[in-house]
Amino acid sequence: MQPTAAQNMIFSNTETIPGMTISQSLGVVSGSTVRAKNVFKDIGAAFKNIAGGEIKAYTELLQESRNEALFRMLNDAAARGANAVVNVRFATSSVAGGAAELLAYGTAVVAQ
Amino acid sequence: MAGEEEPFVGLMIFAIVCSCTTVPWLLSLFATMITQPRKRKVLLERETAAATTGDSLTTLSKPFGDREIREFRVMMASVVMSPSWVQMWIGGIMSLFGGQINVYTKVVDWARREAKQRLREQVAEAGFDEVVNMRIETTVMSRNKGGKDKTAGVEILVYGTAIKY
Repeated sequence: MQPTAAQNMIFSNTETIPGMTISQSLGVVSGSTVRAKNVFKDIGAAFKNIAGGEIKAYTELLQESRNEALFRMLNDAAARGANAVVNVRFATSSVAGGAAELLAYGTAVVAQ
Repeated sequence: MAGEEEPFVGLMIFAIVCSCTTVPWLLSLFATMITQPRKRKVLLERETAAATTGDSLTTLSKPFGDREIREFRVMMASVVMSPSWVQMWIGGIMSLFGGQINVYTKVVDWARREAKQRLREQVAEAGFDEVVNMRIETTVMSRNKGGKDKTAGVEILVYGTAIKY
């Protein structure tokens, strides 16, 4: 994450922010990213499939990209002048040929 | 002379075909039988170790009681699991008959438990007490463009708000 206003953003998975009251809603914010996996990692994963189980390369890839999506969502909220995002949800869909779309969305609010 | 060599060539082709099909199959079968039960056992040990203090994950939108929450943070844990070649093969045959496909059930269940356990450990490590509003998200990662190979991998994401009293 780069140091911007998004870093100071409060975000929560719950409907309210503990210890704060929400004074204004600024609408739905979202951030998404589409990532494809590396060919070399793909080959490694094919070998991993012999025994089955976790494919660490993909786990890391998706985690990294999910953080990116989250960061974009927070940036979107910061651009609207919000200081918090509530009810953050994550969604993932595989687009085609091993590419995955990661989406983070929530409601930008002003909280005091 | 040519007639004498023919059975030999036939045998060679038979041997090559056999080794190309059965060797990976057997390799996968043994690898699956050896590694997967061991990994599941390790996971069960981690789960039982964590279960002594009660489950920290809840799907409630608010924690019980009205204790003051000092700190909170959204935390997530994920895992990508894939069935082995043999499991995919068995699953493919089983899906002709329908009903429960045990090999897939096992893998998906394992992945979900693993992801939840990771979140529990992550939360405990960061010093949080509880997770509220936990959500589980499942995605199928397809290897093929047409999405025919639905079992190539499944990603489980578990996330929630970790709170500290």
